Amino acid sequence: MKSFVVARDLLREAASRRWFLALGLGITLGLVVIGLSLRMDVVDGALAATRFFGKSVNTQIRAADLALRPVFVASSYLIFYGGLLFGVVACADFGPSLLAPGRIEHLLSLPVRRFELIVGTFLGVLALALLGALYGAGGLVLIFGVKTGVYSGRLIVSALLASVTFSAIYGAMLTVAIAARSAALSAASGGALVLLGIVAGERERISEFFDPGISRTIFRGITLFLPRVSSLARSAGEIAGAQPVDSAALTSLLLGLVVFGLAALSLGIHLFERKDF
Amino acid sequence: MLAIEARGLRKTYGGGFSRGAGKEALAGLDLAISEGAAFGLIGLNGAGKTTFIKALLGVVRPSAGVVRVLGKDPEDPSARAKIGYLPERLFLPHAFTPVQFLASVARLKGISEADDEVRRQIGRVGLSGEEGRRIGGFSKGMRQRLGLAAALLGGPMLLVLDEPTDGVDPLGRAEIRRILAEERARGATLFLNSHLLSETERVCDRIGILSGGRLLREGPIEALCGSETRYRVRFAPPLDAAALEALGFRPGEGDGVFVVDAPDPTALNDLLDRARRTGARLVGLTHDVRDLEDVLAEALGQGGERGHA
Repeated sequence: MKSFVVARDLLREAASRRWFLALGLGITLGLVVIGLSLRMDVVDGALAATRFFGKSVNTQIRAADLALRPVFVASSYLIFYGGLLFGVVACADFGPSLLAPGRIEHLLSLPVRRFELIVGTFLGVLALALLGALYGAGGLVLIFGVKTGVYSGRLIVSALLASVTFSAIYGAMLTVAIAARSAALSAASGGALVLLGIVAGERERISEFFDPGISRTIFRGITLFLPRVSSLARSAGEIAGAQPVDSAALTSLLLGLVVFGLAALSLGIHLFERKDF
Repeated sequence: MLAIEARGLRKTYGGGFSRGAGKEALAGLDLAISEGAAFGLIGLNGAGKTTFIKALLGVVRPSAGVVRVLGKDPEDPSARAKIGYLPERLFLPHAFTPVQFLASVARLKGISEADDEVRRQIGRVGLSGEEGRRIGGFSKGMRQRLGLAAALLGGPMLLVLDEPTDGVDPLGRAEIRRILAEERARGATLFLNSHLLSETERVCDRIGILSGGRLLREGPIEALCGSETRYRVRFAPPLDAAALEALGFRPGEGDGVFVVDAPDPTALNDLLDRARRTGARLVGLTHDVRDLEDVLAEALGQGGERGHA
């Protein structure tokens, strides 16, 4: 499928962009600093002492996997929200760049179907998000695994959830880029969706602040179709922290996310198919 | 078979309820180009040349009319697989090397085992030795050559080239002309859009003049510009115009000026001898060949203005 060629080219292009070089460097630097400066003494499966930059961190002696849970939860939130914000800013230009004069005419003159270009761009960004999340989360899991003997894939699952959430938001960003050919508007729409998604995740509680009636109905109606970003972030944290997860609620959140992402992408493809360049 | 066929092709940009009638870029264009021809489209800026090229490639959808390329709808990927296109301002990914860029184009064109083809085209456009360099460091001429290599990948049956020699040095232009001649000899059809009329004249055998989205003139270059077998003669007055016309001399522009066709020098001298026998006295003889600039100006109704300039 030609979409994979487009996705591969996008990854190659991303590898040369400063944003992504900085991200790779930042993650690597963070992992190296943690790896070199963190010392954890594990005795019979219990974390006996922790030193960070040589300074003792006051901890109770408890099972290493239990002791690591708050760290993984914090990392999960960092990866989730940090990843979303980074992705919104750094990936906003891929859509407009695809549609740049002199490039889109050339691509459309090749034996490629229009939708394959959009799907390829989406897949490329999805792969980019997955690679970034896996590198960061995988690195942390590896470092803590080596230091404590506790290897848990939960942080990686949590990071994958963050990637999927970003991909759905990127579907909407790409659609805005197709309609407006503007990286700034694409980034703005992504940022707005993250904020509105945080609100949507708390819609039950926030709707209580509205008077019963039309204003509450409007609020609930608008937030109904938005991805529940804060709920997903909470679920990602719960997964990373080995806390019980309401699997039915998570499945519902994921289904809603997939529907949102596919609907946004379908609209983008529809606009792209009708557009002259 | 026709390589390009357009019938009643119209394209209107914009417009709608709040924006009025919109801008008509193509206004009922009819054009047929046979396979193997070398066709040059000329016209002023805004004449509709780029819109027509985009319609050929399915990049813009016509508002009305029919366009077919190599017998198929331009939207059909199997038709586009046989087209090589060089846009006027090709955007090239700066971080890629020429090999990476062409390999990507080859994959999108569905060319399998493209390594040899990529290297061959790089060599053909004179970029050998630059394979490992990033495109970001290329000059305008080098980018143009690389764009041409991308268009040539896979041996397309139709080459659509928008300003192919733009930014290329004179020797490079000659090289590009040689490549285009090779492609034509292979059987490919050339469709050229260039502001460099002399280039168009040297590469193409048919010309179309576009203005206001309409084809004003179209035909073999000899027919539009005159030919090597057509002569412009001037006789001093007095002369017997009727007698001259009876011999095949057609009145031209200016006093005592006539145009006559003669396949060879012997026939020409024979005609002139017969004209002299009618009492006409020859004072001027030139080939009746105009350059494309004159033809374009005349077609656009600017011949007088250019003459006074």
